[in-house]
Amino acid sequence: MSEFATLASPYSMPAAFHGDVDLTDPEAKTQSRALNQFLAGVELKAFKIAQAALRNEDDALDAVQDAMLQLARAYADRPEQEWKPLFYRILENRIRDMQRRRTVRGRVIAWLPFRGEDDDDEPDAIAQAPSPEPQPVRRLELDEAVGALEKALEGLPRRQQQAFLLRTLEGLDVAETAAAMGCSEGSVKTHYFRAVQSLRAQLGDLYV
Amino acid sequence: MSPMKETLTEFERNAREVLAASLTRIDARTRSRLNRARQAALEHAAARRRPWWRGFALMPAAGAVAAALLVSVLLWHREPSAVELPLLEGRNASVEDVDLLADSEALDLIEGWDGPFYEWAAAQTDANGESDG
Repeated sequence: MSEFATLASPYSMPAAFHGDVDLTDPEAKTQSRALNQFLAGVELKAFKIAQAALRNEDDALDAVQDAMLQLARAYADRPEQEWKPLFYRILENRIRDMQRRRTVRGRVIAWLPFRGEDDDDEPDAIAQAPSPEPQPVRRLELDEAVGALEKALEGLPRRQQQAFLLRTLEGLDVAETAAAMGCSEGSVKTHYFRAVQSLRAQLGDLYV
Repeated sequence: MSPMKETLTEFERNAREVLAASLTRIDARTRSRLNRARQAALEHAAARRRPWWRGFALMPAAGAVAAALLVSVLLWHREPSAVELPLLEGRNASVEDVDLLADSEALDLIEGWDGPFYEWAAAQTDANGESDG
């Protein structure tokens, strides 16, 4: 799985090469390019949001992949401005499904007399490799702040975490966040306000 | 992206900067997997958009192949045998006679053909029939 990581050039592939698109159909070509740009623009943020909720990299990747497929399969024909709330709504549903399944699995495993050790926890050499980029002081400060914020985010209730990340990381407005979360705009404001209060209490003004 | 229009506090501005920085810390393996997931999603979208008549695009080629096969089978059955069939009393032997001719006993009969005897026997039979009648 990871052996191609160093060979792939994730963000250098032109949109025109994506999928088996009928090149004689300009509408299909335009839509494919737009969908590619949209997904490329949200995939990292979506991964971060899923990772914060699921606290597991592989599960987060699965959730994002499922959300991408579902959007492409069912909603690609919808207007582009609807894609973002739809995508995050799908992602949220997927995250909730995975959390429920994990809870059930945890209960079942807790009853089992013998619990197998997970053999797949070997560290990935590529993932563990240090970044070739230089590590200036600024970068180190940011890294520390990222770690502190991520840790504080993990402690937030799920809805607060979701509202905060959709508003702050993804930049959705209140209405879009409400559509993505499947709740009222008032609820979004409440969740977001409480999240900010809680994080601020832990991190101060998060000076970086 | 729809920018947040509200006035941001210092904490919120800093949080945005920190979260943006966190995206740059995502490793190459994860980026590669996300890229592949995106390609798979685009494939799905393209397949869904493919017009229904594209399914019949190969029909002419398939029809031509089927027709060629049919013609070749028909020609194979109608092709004359490379073996020259023997003439028997001035007529071409039919395909059904090939088995008889290939039979060793039948060949012995042909080699031992006694024409005058059979002509005499036939004449006798005719003569007896006329005398009986």
